[in-house]
Amino acid sequence: MGFERIPGLIGEIEDRGETTVVVEKERLSEATLYLRDELGFNFLSDIAATDYLGWGGETAGSWGSADGRDLNVPYTLGLDLVPEPKPKRFSLSYHLLALRADPVRVRLQTWLDDGDAVASVVSVWPVADWLEREAYDLMGIVFEGHPNLVRVLMPDDWEGHPLRKDYPIGGEPVRFSGEE
Amino acid sequence: MGIADGKRLADYGLSSERLLMESKDPGAFEQEVAQLEQAVLATTLDKAVFWAQTHSMWPDTFGLACCAIEMMAVAGPRYDLARFGMEAFRNSPRQADLLIVSGRVSHKMAPPLRQIYDQMLEPKWVVAMGVCASSGGMFANYAVLQGVDRIVPVDIYVPGCPPRPEGLLEGIVRLHERVMAGIPPAYEIDEKIC
Amino acid sequence: MATVSDSVFTGPVLYEGTRIPSPVPSWVQVDPARLEDGNVLEVNFGPNHPSTHGVLRLVVDLDGEEIVGMRAVIGYLHTGFEKSMEQKSWWKAINYPSRIDYLASFQNELLFVLAIEKLLGIEVPPKATWIRMALSELNRIHSHLVWLGTMGLELGVQSLYFYCFDQRERVLDLFEMVTGVRVHGRYCQAGGLAEDIPPGFVADARTFCRGMPKAIDEYEHMTQQNKMWQKRTKGIGVVSAEDAIRLGLSGPNLRGSGVNWDLRKREPYLFYDQIDFEVPVYEHGDSYDRARVRIDEMRQSLRIAEQCLDQIEGMGGEPWIADDRKVVLPPREELHTSMESLIHHFKIVTEGYRVPAGEVYVTIESPRGEQGCYVVSDGGPKPWRVHFRAPSFPTIAAAPTLCQEHLIADLIAISASLDPLMGDSDR
Repeated sequence: MGFERIPGLIGEIEDRGETTVVVEKERLSEATLYLRDELGFNFLSDIAATDYLGWGGETAGSWGSADGRDLNVPYTLGLDLVPEPKPKRFSLSYHLLALRADPVRVRLQTWLDDGDAVASVVSVWPVADWLEREAYDLMGIVFEGHPNLVRVLMPDDWEGHPLRKDYPIGGEPVRFSGEE
Repeated sequence: MGIADGKRLADYGLSSERLLMESKDPGAFEQEVAQLEQAVLATTLDKAVFWAQTHSMWPDTFGLACCAIEMMAVAGPRYDLARFGMEAFRNSPRQADLLIVSGRVSHKMAPPLRQIYDQMLEPKWVVAMGVCASSGGMFANYAVLQGVDRIVPVDIYVPGCPPRPEGLLEGIVRLHERVMAGIPPAYEIDEKIC
Repeated sequence: MATVSDSVFTGPVLYEGTRIPSPVPSWVQVDPARLEDGNVLEVNFGPNHPSTHGVLRLVVDLDGEEIVGMRAVIGYLHTGFEKSMEQKSWWKAINYPSRIDYLASFQNELLFVLAIEKLLGIEVPPKATWIRMALSELNRIHSHLVWLGTMGLELGVQSLYFYCFDQRERVLDLFEMVTGVRVHGRYCQAGGLAEDIPPGFVADARTFCRGMPKAIDEYEHMTQQNKMWQKRTKGIGVVSAEDAIRLGLSGPNLRGSGVNWDLRKREPYLFYDQIDFEVPVYEHGDSYDRARVRIDEMRQSLRIAEQCLDQIEGMGGEPWIADDRKVVLPPREELHTSMESLIHHFKIVTEGYRVPAGEVYVTIESPRGEQGCYVVSDGGPKPWRVHFRAPSFPTIAAAPTLCQEHLIADLIAISASLDPLMGDSDR
């Protein structure tokens, strides 16, 4: 497909029929322009941010723990099998589509730490306006160069970024469940 | 009877499963109202007013989510809400009597909900339609208000996700029964609802 | 009408360049010269308003009746689906997606289940796929009926509402027959379907499909031969193919602008490549054409559904769910005799099945456009991250671009023809 020439390319992964192209976050702008202009990815389908805090630890629901298994606690049976560790805390995935007669899909991925800012792609694909606002609102990822980076789904005065793993689920405890 | 026999309700001479349930005899509604009336001691003029209130209680267009579609179905041709005189969904809360909160109320929507409720003129009633309005439903999380009765007093809770249109109609009929019996709207009743 | 062999960009270029506002694509800002005249009024089409898409708030700057500035504010129905789904096991999380796009609820849960199946690598028996297709298309008809009824309400063709909801009841009767409830059936399961379809479903569905075309003809007559409808939608809210793609529009909104793009033909999922149907594409890019696309889509959905029913009819005793005991509950009778089945049943019900680690992005053609689901699994019994690509999200962001230089009454027609759904956009 020509993914080898993407600026800032770190790696390419083929899994379950999907191609993921990982780039350095510093060269994201160049990579997006290359993808749109040279490779023809004219449709940005989605921007998905994922928080990997706690990946591979207890919150991941791993198969077992070094202390052994406790029949009264679900998800603690079997072997200790943890998934592969991730490079940084957040992954930002841009799902792109080349909308033409022979369509191609690709996932452009970049990795960030907490507090890292990444370049905005609003000038490349205008649909990114609200998609980036959503990633900022719910995950706290800052997009540099975004013309209007304010909250879109949560109330304007909300504190915190709800979809992060260290943000509590909220609601209220239900009677007779384990929390009481 | 089950799917395995391949028979359908019509083969058993039934047109609806409702016929298998106990139904109220004619006059049962009036008896229940009379019992409640004796407890409340309403005057004839009061009773006339309650009768009038029940027969043209206009709802406000407060459809939020999936329950709103079922509320629209209640106003539709099969479950006709017009037979209760309620098909006139008023867009302005100042002209509405009944607020059917149909759908999940997020924390961002809570102030507008309270504002709409405040803009309604008394007497006004609130029906919490669906489990999301009654208690937050399946969404026990940061975004959804865990029950609309935290910000407005509710008269009738209709469970279901979404409640069938017949369920909403049952809720509305019970609300009419309440009003006819002389029970005041929820804001006049000083109850702590947990 | 176009077929897949045709090119993607049919139709003429509607305007040169772009009408997307700058610097913020979703915000038409008032020209400072207009502000000086002192005639501009900022009006809030607040979250509670007569239009029935849900709780959408549009902040509109008006000069008389003309729209000179506009932006949309959403989030009034934000429900936290994605975080809630992370707390539940895979089995329980399937309950949630139905409520996202509550008109196309079957297609949403199907989307999530397709993502789980892609991660699991499990094969679904053909009967389940055909049933899923038939129900998806019936769901599409349901969504378009509600859209048409409410668009009629908003444009003043009020009796259309009652005609559409009458047919809608018939579709919901079919769903009730299969899933037990009218909407939000939670019928899809990882590996197939929860239960077999009941006897009599195929016959009743055929009766519905036979009676529906006449109803659609009635709707066409009530809308397209209706002078009021024509005046209010022709030439209103024009968007070119290029702008539509830049704005992330998809589905009927794209096909109304001459872009021959339907995921069922271009990237077929389920068995859409094995059946015969057409994709309606119109080229004027206005509200009239977007409405026409949806009405024609209803006819094509009937065609697809009938072909699926033909297939299902011949598959009497076949399985409706895969055989993999690690993921799918064993049949009840087996539990009496097999110890292994009992253990599998126990583990699936208490702990839940585990989905191998990885990430996938699955898309389907929902009535609103391209709906996508991005799922990350850590190999455990609960999803790590679920993200839905909502077609209504960019659609609402695009509404200001379409409404520039129109009147307030046109705003209603445009937002109705775009068919946004707040549950979908706010998730």
